[in-house]
Amino acid sequence: MTTDRPVLLVEDNELNRDMLVRRLKRAGLAVITAGNGQQALDLMHSERPGIVLMDMNLPILDGWAASRRAKEDEDIRHIPIIALTAHATESYRQYALDAGCDDYATKPVDFPGLLTKIKRLTCA
Amino acid sequence: MSLRRQLTLSLITILILFAVNVGTHFWGSYARNESMIAYRNSVTATQLSTEVEQLLEVQRQQILILATLRETTEDPLGDAELQRAEAAIRTINEKIQRLGRLSHSVTEMDFELLWKKSSLLLKRWLTFYRNYNDPAFQMDMNDPLPFLGVSEKLKELEQRQAFIAAQRAKIIDRTIALTDRITVIAFFSSIFLTAILGYFLVSYTNTSFKSLKRGTERFGSGDLDYRIDDINDSGELGDLADAFNDMSDKLRNAIHDVHKARDIADNANAAKSMFLANVSHELRTPLNAIIGYSEMLHDELGDTHEIDRSQFQQDLDTIIKSGRQLLTLIDDILDLSKVETGNMSLNCETFNPTDLLNEAFEVLAPLLRNNQNTLQTRNLEDLPELHNDPAKFRQIFTNLLSNANKFTESGCITVSARELPDTPGWLEFSVSDTGIGMTSEELSRVFDAFVQADASTSANYGGTGLGLAICRDFCALMGGRIDVESEPGVGSTFTVLLPSDPT
Repeated sequence: MTTDRPVLLVEDNELNRDMLVRRLKRAGLAVITAGNGQQALDLMHSERPGIVLMDMNLPILDGWAASRRAKEDEDIRHIPIIALTAHATESYRQYALDAGCDDYATKPVDFPGLLTKIKRLTCA
Repeated sequence: MSLRRQLTLSLITILILFAVNVGTHFWGSYARNESMIAYRNSVTATQLSTEVEQLLEVQRQQILILATLRETTEDPLGDAELQRAEAAIRTINEKIQRLGRLSHSVTEMDFELLWKKSSLLLKRWLTFYRNYNDPAFQMDMNDPLPFLGVSEKLKELEQRQAFIAAQRAKIIDRTIALTDRITVIAFFSSIFLTAILGYFLVSYTNTSFKSLKRGTERFGSGDLDYRIDDINDSGELGDLADAFNDMSDKLRNAIHDVHKARDIADNANAAKSMFLANVSHELRTPLNAIIGYSEMLHDELGDTHEIDRSQFQQDLDTIIKSGRQLLTLIDDILDLSKVETGNMSLNCETFNPTDLLNEAFEVLAPLLRNNQNTLQTRNLEDLPELHNDPAKFRQIFTNLLSNANKFTESGCITVSARELPDTPGWLEFSVSDTGIGMTSEELSRVFDAFVQADASTSANYGGTGLGLAICRDFCALMGGRIDVESEPGVGSTFTVLLPSDPT
């Protein structure tokens, strides 16, 4: 795992953000956070995170649009994105993959599973 | 003209022609018979005249001989000879009478003259025979005039009869020719008429049935708008076409209704799926916090270092808060489901709306402080009592006030009420805020379940998007309604109209 590069967690819900940040840190990962899609794109440029965990329902610029823009941007398209959403249906999984996300996890998050996905995408 | 009338008319015409044929036949045969009898009579009369003529001639010769004998000899006439002569004269008389029976109106006059003259002659002859033996009797039998008169009349009558017989024969020939001609004409007319009728009937029914068939095929292949318009018949086939068009109209409407019902069902189904997807989404958000925090605390308990007790307590509070949020959400979903399946009932009581509003204001107070909002009330004193469901009343205004506060910061929330002057017994409540407001597009969907004005609103302001849907359903259940007016950036006003008694 590329421990030198932080995980960017994009989540607008304060409780969920707090909980995930603490759990990720506890798992030994460096974490930076963003509250909306636009902020996420800015941080991807400035901080060059190793991976992005992106909620989809976000204010200002939602997760789908932000993912699409990130994948169209030469500078940051290599950064893997895992979509996080409470929409559990297959169609929403497909929307996320269509938007350019590399993987998909539903809330409530299976945390060990999420760690496995992060490991797989950052070691590739 | 209708098909049946055409058929009937043609049939009647053919029957009339047939009747003419039969009538002509009988008339012809009767006329022929009559003429034949008359012809036969005339021929018989002619023969009879000739016979009478010969008998008269024979009798005259005999009388001339007898007259000569009487002058030259004294021989008397024997009784037997007298009787024979009388019989001969009687025979002549009878034959002339028979001739009279055979004569008719045309020859009557001739016969009358003949009869007169022959009677005189025969009487004269009879007188001669009877007085033959009387020497004093004198009669000139050599006078030829009486005999010649009769003979001449007889010849005339004979000629007449012969002429009549010839006429009759001619009439018979003419009658036969005429009846033959009539029969042939009627026969060919019926054949011609039948052929024409058949042709028109076949071509007419063929065309009509073809267009009926075409209509049925077009309709059967799914062209539901097709109509049979090319049958110009006021009769049975026209009726059939009309019935077909009528049936296709009804069928089209029925299919349209079925499609509409199917669309409605599809939409309802899609809405239900959407609702379920939304429910799943909304349930997962608090569950995410509950499970996530619980797992995290569970993991932290296994750590070796000291536990931060205040942090631990705060995390447990988060779990509890999320659990309560989940419970509220489930209650809301159940309420909405009950109303929409018609299982929500009203528990009507008489209550003072002002009291219930004041209770709602108390619950709101800490939330108002969080968003630095102020509350203003107008006309809430002296409101009449309502006989309606107080629990639902409370929930409606709790929802509306919490919404107004949620979308307003450092602003003012105004609650007012009034009795409607036009419709007594109705109260109008309004909840206004000076918050973010809504566009007209957002307004049109604001009462739909799980719809918050903007998809990102829930992210900013929280909430499930069920509150206004419940308000709308409760207002309707309570016999009233809810309306909204809003302007982006200026604020929103929700107006609730309720009857004092929903029954």
